[in-house]
Amino acid sequence: MLSILRPVAALGRFVLATVASVGRAGYLARDAAHAVKKVSLWGPHLLPQMMRVGVESVPVALFIATFTGVVLALQASYTFTGAMPLYLVGTLVGKTMLLELGPVLTGLALSGRVGANIAAEIGTMRVTEQIDALETLAYDPVAYLVVPRVVAGAIMFPIIVVLADALGIAAGWVTAQALLDMSSFEFVKGLQFLFDPFDLQFSIIKSISFGLTVTSLGCFFGFHTTGGAAGVGRATTQTVVVSSMVILLLDAFWGVILL
Amino acid sequence: MNRGRELLVGFVILSALAVGVVGTYYLQGTNFGQPQVARDILVRTVGQLNRGNSVKYLGVNIGRIEAFGVIGTAVRVSMLLDEDVVLPGDAAVILGPESMFGDWQAEIVSMAEYPRYEFYQLPVDAPPGVLPGYALPEMSRLTASAEQIADNLAQLSDRLELAFNEETATQLASAISNLEAISLEIRELVVQQAAVATSVSASADAALNEVEEASRVARRSFERIEGILSDSQIDTIVANMRVASAGIQAIATDLSEATGGISGTVDRADSAFARIDRIAARIEDGEGAVGRLLSDSTLAIRAEDVLDQLALLLKDVRENPRRYVRLSIF
Repeated sequence: MLSILRPVAALGRFVLATVASVGRAGYLARDAAHAVKKVSLWGPHLLPQMMRVGVESVPVALFIATFTGVVLALQASYTFTGAMPLYLVGTLVGKTMLLELGPVLTGLALSGRVGANIAAEIGTMRVTEQIDALETLAYDPVAYLVVPRVVAGAIMFPIIVVLADALGIAAGWVTAQALLDMSSFEFVKGLQFLFDPFDLQFSIIKSISFGLTVTSLGCFFGFHTTGGAAGVGRATTQTVVVSSMVILLLDAFWGVILL
Repeated sequence: MNRGRELLVGFVILSALAVGVVGTYYLQGTNFGQPQVARDILVRTVGQLNRGNSVKYLGVNIGRIEAFGVIGTAVRVSMLLDEDVVLPGDAAVILGPESMFGDWQAEIVSMAEYPRYEFYQLPVDAPPGVLPGYALPEMSRLTASAEQIADNLAQLSDRLELAFNEETATQLASAISNLEAISLEIRELVVQQAAVATSVSASADAALNEVEEASRVARRSFERIEGILSDSQIDTIVANMRVASAGIQAIATDLSEATGGISGTVDRADSAFARIDRIAARIEDGEGAVGRLLSDSTLAIRAEDVLDQLALLLKDVRENPRRYVRLSIF
C-alpha cells in the first residue's frame, strides 16, 4: 500500500470500528430491553448492585461535593466582592451545584469508580469465559449481568447526586459563615433567590442519564473485552474515557433541550 | 448481612428523597408548620409574577404566590399568607420587581398610601377578602417607551439638523463672540465688586470688633450691675440717696427764704434802673448841660477849644508864673 493511502485507510478503519461498536451497542441495548422482562433473573442481583453502584459510591461523591461547595463559595465571594451583593454567593452555589457541578462531577467520579469496576468485572468474566459458561447453562448473560447493573445505576445515580447537591450546598453555607463575612440569613436569602424546583428536576434527569450511560458503557466494554488481562485493562480505560466524554456530551445535550 | 444491605440501601434512598423534598420546599420559602390562609388578588395584568414568588407586607415575607387564573379581563392571583398577619382595612397589592434580577413579588400595602396607582376596581359582587392589585410597568414596557422616546429624539435631531444651516452657524458664532465680550465685562465687574466687597468686609470686620468690644464692656457692666444687685451695696446707695435728698430739700428751703430778700433788692434795683432810664431819656432829648453837650456838636467843639486854650494857659502859667503872679513883700 502506498504510504499516502495509509492515513485514509486508518480513517476508514476507525469509522468502521466505530460503526461496529455502535452496532454492537445497539444489539446489547436490544438484548437488555428484552432481558428487562426477566425480572426473576436480574431481580435478586439488583440490591447488591445498588449497594455497589450506589451506597458504596456515596462517600466519594460526598467528598467531591463538599469541596466543590467550599471552593464555589470562596470563588463566588472573591468574584462578587465590591461588585455585587454578597448574598448572591448563595444563589451561585445553589444554582451551580444543582444545575451543573453536582450531577456532572458525580457522574465523572462514578464513571471512574463504577464504570471501570463494571468493565473490569465483566471483562474478566468475558476473558475467563465465565459469560460463555452462563450461556452454556442457558442463562441470559445480559439479564444476569447487564440489566441489574444498569437499573441500579439508573436508580442510585440520582440518589447520590441529590445527596451530593445537598452536601455541596451545605458546605458552601458553612464556608460562607466560617470563612466569609456573610450571615446565615444572607446565604439562605441568596439560596432561595431565583430557586426553581425545576433545578432539582434537571439535576435528577441528568443524573439518571449519566447513571444509564456509565453502567451501560461499563457493561458494553466489559462484554466485548478481548485479549486477556491487557484487554481487561483496555476495556476499563475505554469505559472511563468514553463515559466521561458522553457525560459531557449529555450535559450539553440536556442543557440545550431542557433549559 | 443481606438485611443489613437492604436497610442501608433503603436508608440512603429515603435520605435522598427526604433531602430532595424538604430541600425543595425549604428553598421555595415554605413555612413548615405555620398556619396559612388563602387570599386572592384581582389585577389587570401580573407582569413577570410567577408561582412561588414571595408576598411581602411591610417588607416581611408573609407568603407566596400559589396560582393564576384569568377571569374576564382580569387575572385572579391566589396567595397563601401567614394566618397571624393582620392586613390593613384598605389593603391592596402592588406587583413589581423584587430586585434588579427580574424576579417579581407581590407587596401588600395600604391603598391610601398610593393614591396615584390605579388599583383594579373590584366588582360589587366580588367575594370578601379579595384584594385589588396593580402591576408596575415591567421592563419590556419601559424599554418600549424608551424606544419611542428615542424615535422622537431622532426626529427632533433631524429637524435640528435641517434648521442648523450655515447662517445659523454664523449667528451662533457671533453670539458666542458677544457672550465672550459680555463675560469679560462681567469678569471686570466681578473683580471690582470683589474689591468693594473686600473693603466692606474689612469695615464690617472693624465694626464687628467694635461691637464685640462694646458687648464685652456691656457684659462687664451687666456683670457689675449684677454684682451690685446681688450685694448689699444697693441698700447703702439707697440710704445715701435718702440722706442726700433730705439735704437737697433743706437747701431748697434756704434758697426759698433767700429768694424773698432778693426779691426786695430786685425791686429797688428796678426803681433805680427806672430813674436812670428817665435821666438817660432826658439827656438823649438834649435837656440839661449834658444833654446839650451830647446833642449839640458845636458846643462840644467850643468846649474842646476852651479846654485847649485852658491847657495852653496852664502851660504858660507853669512856664511864666511871674507874668501872672506878683509877689512883693515890700
